[in-house]
Amino acid sequence: MSFQLSLSSEAVTAAYPDQPLVVDPESTVGETLQLLRAQKTGSVLVCDEGSMVGIFTERDALKLMASGADLTQPISQVMSRDPVSLSADANVGEAIKRMSQGGYRHLPIVTQEGKPTGMATVFGITHYLVDHFPETIYTLPPNPGSIPSEREGA
Amino acid sequence: MITCPFCGSEILEGADVCDDCQHSLTDMSIPQPVTPVERGLLKDRIRTLNPRVPYVVSPETPIGTVLENMLAESIGCVMIVQDDKLLGIFSERDALMKLNAEVAQFVDRPISAFMTPEPITLEAKNRIAYALHKMHVGGYRHVPIMTDGKLTGVISIRDILAYLSEKIGVPV
Repeated sequence: MSFQLSLSSEAVTAAYPDQPLVVDPESTVGETLQLLRAQKTGSVLVCDEGSMVGIFTERDALKLMASGADLTQPISQVMSRDPVSLSADANVGEAIKRMSQGGYRHLPIVTQEGKPTGMATVFGITHYLVDHFPETIYTLPPNPGSIPSEREGA
Repeated sequence: MITCPFCGSEILEGADVCDDCQHSLTDMSIPQPVTPVERGLLKDRIRTLNPRVPYVVSPETPIGTVLENMLAESIGCVMIVQDDKLLGIFSERDALMKLNAEVAQFVDRPISAFMTPEPITLEAKNRIAYALHKMHVGGYRHVPIMTDGKLTGVISIRDILAYLSEKIGVPV
């Protein structure tokens, strides 16, 4: 019960959002792909003068890679415009709901002026949830079904 | 000082047995699930998540074909299987990290050159807690699910999130 309470009262910023990765609309697709690889991340926000205009994720990257698209075109040609986003005061429950309804793995957190402050991810949310029952997850043996022959220390 | 849960007499912290009633105290340190979510994670098996049928390719399949199929099938990862044996997994993330902007020069190379070999797998009969454990600790998005040593399904982090949301009762 308390768990449910915290989901609707705790802000999404508690669910380990990533720092947003930002590129200009004029950056080329090739540059953006290399930036994603260097940062080992799967999504980037496209911002024009500090305000978010689109998102480019690894799914978009896959489409371009499969079709052998021109990698010198600007990212603004291929990004997804006006992505679903969260305000900084959105709660964790809302983030989960939007993610599962839309099938998103990343949701940008933006201010009222459209400035991105974070990126809520499915891994961050899972991390947040696991924090509520750490013993259930972190105390598991490395392989299911492996039963120690004797008690540790006994 | 703490008290013995069986007879109430005072016991030393860390003692294996209660000096007064001789009850064993060693099970006291085993964590017990308290919330319905925890109980569900430790009780429900992965098969109740209905693992999706994996998309399987042979190790010789050219990478270009694999990318096209991933798009056509709207899937995030393919399994590389030969003679009923799971050799590797190839995901969107592998495509981004290994092919990246140089994709054009690789399209005819076999998938086996880019797959992640010997992925972590789980059995359909394992508890869901293990799936969450592997994904959360290992940072994996997909885990292949085996039944009696043969690949039969795949579950994703979003299946787990959907399961947790339902258990927790995220307000819709």
